[in-house]
Amino acid sequence: MRRFHDWLIFMAMQHNPFNIRSIVVLLVCLLVLYFSQINAFASRDTLEKIKNSGVITWGFDAEGGAPYVYHDPAHPSKLIGFEVELVEAIARELGVKVQYFQNAWDSVLLSLLRGDFDIALNGIEITPERTQSVLFTRPYYVYAEQIVVRASDNRINHLEDLHGKKVGVLYNTVAKRMLEEMGDVVVSVYSGQVEPFKDLSLNRIDAVFVDLPIAAYYTLPNPQLRMVGNPVGEGYYGIALRKEDSALAEELNKIIEKLLRTGELKKIYRRWGLWNLSQEKLFLHEGLLQKYTESLPSFSEKAPIAVTRFLPTLLKGTVVTIGISLLSMILAVVLGLILAIMRLYGNAWMQKISEAYVEIYRGTPLLIQLYILYYGLPNVGISLSAFAAAILGLGMNYAAYEAEIYRAGIQAVPRGQTEAALSLGMSGYMTLRRIILPQALHITIPPMTNDFIALFKDSSLVSVIAITELTKSYSMLAAASMDFFKLGIITALLYFGMSYPLSLYARRLEKRLRSYDRNL
Amino acid sequence: MIEICNLFKAYGRQSLFRGLHLTIEKGSVTAMIGPSGSGKSTLLRCMNGLETFQGGCISVDGQKLYGINERAYHKKQKSLAVKNIRRKMGMVFQQFNLFPHMTVLHNITAAPVSVLGIDPSEAESDALSLLRKIHLGEKAQKYPGQLSGGEQQRVAIARALAMRPEAMLFDEPTSSLDPEMVEEVLLVVRGLVLEGMTTVIATHEMGFARDVSTQVVFLEKGEIVEQGSPKEIFFNPKNDRTKAFLSRFMK
Repeated sequence: MRRFHDWLIFMAMQHNPFNIRSIVVLLVCLLVLYFSQINAFASRDTLEKIKNSGVITWGFDAEGGAPYVYHDPAHPSKLIGFEVELVEAIARELGVKVQYFQNAWDSVLLSLLRGDFDIALNGIEITPERTQSVLFTRPYYVYAEQIVVRASDNRINHLEDLHGKKVGVLYNTVAKRMLEEMGDVVVSVYSGQVEPFKDLSLNRIDAVFVDLPIAAYYTLPNPQLRMVGNPVGEGYYGIALRKEDSALAEELNKIIEKLLRTGELKKIYRRWGLWNLSQEKLFLHEGLLQKYTESLPSFSEKAPIAVTRFLPTLLKGTVVTIGISLLSMILAVVLGLILAIMRLYGNAWMQKISEAYVEIYRGTPLLIQLYILYYGLPNVGISLSAFAAAILGLGMNYAAYEAEIYRAGIQAVPRGQTEAALSLGMSGYMTLRRIILPQALHITIPPMTNDFIALFKDSSLVSVIAITELTKSYSMLAAASMDFFKLGIITALLYFGMSYPLSLYARRLEKRLRSYDRNL
Repeated sequence: MIEICNLFKAYGRQSLFRGLHLTIEKGSVTAMIGPSGSGKSTLLRCMNGLETFQGGCISVDGQKLYGINERAYHKKQKSLAVKNIRRKMGMVFQQFNLFPHMTVLHNITAAPVSVLGIDPSEAESDALSLLRKIHLGEKAQKYPGQLSGGEQQRVAIARALAMRPEAMLFDEPTSSLDPEMVEEVLLVVRGLVLEGMTTVIATHEMGFARDVSTQVVFLEKGEIVEQGSPKEIFFNPKNDRTKAFLSRFMK
């Protein structure tokens, strides 16, 4: 490490520090240094650390929701769920306390590998891809996938009926993969558990296909929904550990076995309505798990996954990103211009409306606006498609920023221009269109370019309303393959490939427009 | 042709015109002189509807503009009167105000085509002959930014003339020019006067005012202190304020 450090300094002295290439080299070096230190940190023996500190750190995502681990609606500061009880029982057996570590579900395994916490336990299905990068304990729950439909809908009765239907699944689950393998199912991917059930009630999708615990929790109390067919595609939830923590795995396996034999696990599951005959399989010896894992379809086939296999999915995400960005840009430009004109030339109440619009849209988060548009508006009888909501959400938000830019641009055109046009007999509208706006446009090109590049990147936020655009495609693929680095670089390049031509075009446009007013 | 009756104008509490009267005959050349801030420009802009005023009336060939405080005066009537007045009178500004994003030719043809509905090719040949008249025929395809100040102001005059006005208002047309360019612009104005164009010009060029005008108006603090023929004003001013102003200027 020391020699590496010296080399870095040597590099820095040899090169002009502003040389782009040397900066890139430096960045890559720092990145390597960073990762190598993380690994060094993570490689300490975790079991020993837990025993010494008296604390086991548990990574989970409470946003994932009930009945796994979630905030008690009656006491929102308290976490409840069957996994909370399970982890508390495990900690008791280990003689330590639980430290809770909230982490987005999408990246829970990645954070585990980084060493943020000791165990990841949060409905994580044991799959061949995951076993390549993490170590699983013996299963603590046997789940199956359950179909949920609207109570009034008789078309769907088992898995085969889902052909050609629009079905909601959770991000990165076995259920999603099962449907994708069926070929012609229109799969809608959600990050949160509540949203697919909400969209099902709103007729936006035909069915939801999720793990049984989730299906039961949301369907049983809701008379509008019902579960159909037998649960299919049994699988196992396991506790995920870092590969080198085999000692911890052994200890946890012993504890799980003990909880099974004493009946405590059964009691916990009963309390949450999760116990069924399938759970008896938990008593079987470990060989079962091995066989099960091997029987699962594996798209990795143990060989390192060629990046080219991911490209079609990423490119599809890119097309969605481009489509949404361009359409919302058009909306933002038109609406922004109308708002700016209302503000500058409208009567008193038009000015007030425009001002209020800008303040409200600029002063509230885009994410909240998207939620309200997509999940909130149905409460007042307006149900938008995800695509329409995405474009409206982004477009209306950016319109607020464009309005301010145009207002500044229009005000920057000298007043004499308006007077000259009016004195020539032009009407107010003609003056605006022929004289003022063309000049204002020129002034606003740089800030507009800025905004539109930002919009390209902000378009990733629409993944919260079940649109699979580029960032979403990336995080799904990366979570499945655990290859965050290579895929991340490719995805970043794809984004760059979208925004850079836009800057080049803006630069050219600016140059062309500049040709007329060298002296301004 | 232009009749200004009892004009009142104020900016907030600061009053400028307090009952101003002025008549401008058809075919006359009126030079408005006076110190900066005396209201010369404002008076021109009021005539063209670019500025509103509180009281009184401005009448151009029967088209009437009233003060905003006058009763029984509808918005629609007003905008129609403004439109008609602007068609009758062209205006040239101190800052030229050419449209920087249009070529010289396009600057001149834009309004005739879009406002008067003249055929573009006809408007173009009219514009070219106007440009030749002011010796700028070869600059037709240039942008305003590529011209000198004097050339720009000449184009601005051509642009106003392309609307075939009956009168021309010049708002200090040479005040922001370098001294060597003043003469070329004044030459164009002089040419117009010789053709009999009704002209109102606010200016600090006393020699020019003396030579071409038929009527001189001396304004100070929004008030017409003295008016008369150039001979009377320049060689035999009656009012002491006129004398003081002229003596300062003729030094």
